[in-house]
Amino acid sequence: MSEKMSYGIAVNRLEEIVADLERGGIALDETLKLYEEGAKLLEFCQQELASAEGRLNEMRLSELEEKLSE
Amino acid sequence: MRTGSELTTGPIPVGQFVNLIRTTVRNDSLFQNQVIKGEITQWKSYPSGHTYFTLRDSDGQISAVIWQGRCSIDSSIGEGSVVVVIANLDLYAKSGRIQLIVNRIEPINKLGVLEEQRKQLIELLRSEGMLDRPRKALPSIPKHIAIITGVGSAALADMNRLAENRWPGIRRTVIGVTVQGNLAPNEIVRGILAAGKLADFDLARRLNQPPVDVIIVGRGGGSPEDLWAFNLEPVVRAIIASGVPVISAVGHESDMLVADLVADMRASTPSNAIERLVPEFDQHQMMILNFELRITDATTRMFVDWRNNLRLLQSRLLNAPLQGVYNANQQITDLSNRLTTAIINKFGQSKQKLASLGNIMMLSAQQSIAAEKTKLAVFASALNSAHPNNVLQRGYSMISDENGQIISRTDDLDEGQNIILALADGTAKATVEEITKESGKNE
Repeated sequence: MSEKMSYGIAVNRLEEIVADLERGGIALDETLKLYEEGAKLLEFCQQELASAEGRLNEMRLSELEEKLSE
Repeated sequence: MRTGSELTTGPIPVGQFVNLIRTTVRNDSLFQNQVIKGEITQWKSYPSGHTYFTLRDSDGQISAVIWQGRCSIDSSIGEGSVVVVIANLDLYAKSGRIQLIVNRIEPINKLGVLEEQRKQLIELLRSEGMLDRPRKALPSIPKHIAIITGVGSAALADMNRLAENRWPGIRRTVIGVTVQGNLAPNEIVRGILAAGKLADFDLARRLNQPPVDVIIVGRGGGSPEDLWAFNLEPVVRAIIASGVPVISAVGHESDMLVADLVADMRASTPSNAIERLVPEFDQHQMMILNFELRITDATTRMFVDWRNNLRLLQSRLLNAPLQGVYNANQQITDLSNRLTTAIINKFGQSKQKLASLGNIMMLSAQQSIAAEKTKLAVFASALNSAHPNNVLQRGYSMISDENGQIISRTDDLDEGQNIILALADGTAKATVEEITKESGKNE
């Protein structure tokens, strides 16, 4: 997956892939390619969703500045 | 009062001269009951009850006195206050000192001055093109939100609650700063700088967290003075200079601060910032799952189509020339193998949920392909048994004349004729000795 891939771009591409597959009439190789691309994008999106989860850090400005100067 | 003619008679004593000035000043309405605006310095109240100070601005200054009990003095007035006085000008002859005798003193609404500064700052920013500069886009899913606001404030509690409702556990770093008073501007600026450092990729890696990709700076509602830090140039400049998109979220809907004018997004309230920045997790999860289902459905339908195509191809083969059948059969076998391999390779790479969906699809595709292959194998073996070479393998032989013409009837033979026998592994030359025709076997 390219470095520039963003969630928004991935979702747009998924829309296209779904539309292409649902329209049908695509060659075998092309279908497999689309499926593979779709699978990768879905995985990327799931990772994006998961990666937004994290801890809640609360600190005073001075604490953070101390931490940053270490 | 001396007249001008008396002046010509000799030198005038200085005291008389000063008193002349004093009289002139006291009788000139320009210098009496004048309304004057300025800033107070050297404010000093004496035990006598008199108060002395200097009224100044950038162009000049003058001493002033408020005699004890002359007028009421607002408690907010002191060193640095900007005031309006109503005063008479007087000259204290003994020292030659000119001063204002204040009859009334009122503070100028501090906000009025601040408002003036705010307007000037907006004009400056406008002339620099900062108000309509391109804004940074907010991340569609924020990975790490820096929130710069007062620790323990109601605004922060609201933001945290709302964020958790929309996207449970979404990553936030709250940087607690003073949001009002003298310390506020400096702390807010430092907060933005610190959040900017957390956006650094290398530092983020060292801290084992994603870089900050958006900053919310703000506070809840308050008086205009309480919110004023967000109208000050250092804070505004820090927002403009930030490498990370900044959302300004100050006060209530109706409060419009200079920070709001320059931020990458203006939220009407701190809660509004969360609503506009943090997506709803469930909605996105649903969307992704929906994509998964639709891709799988559509692809499965395509496999069914191909299976039907294979069937069609098979029925057409029944009428095709012999060699063509072998070639086509080979192609179909190839195709089936490639299809199976491709499915195993490509779908096999998908992970977890995707893999299970892929597996279902792969199995159904493999099953239908396997069924086709079995049918084709039966079909091909039937075709194979009909091939002349296979007949020869079973002990039969084929006769042709020397020109290669196949001979199947006695009518085509003469006694003494040379013939070629085709056997399973070669040919033999022979001569016809005797011909016996059996009746009823001419076809």
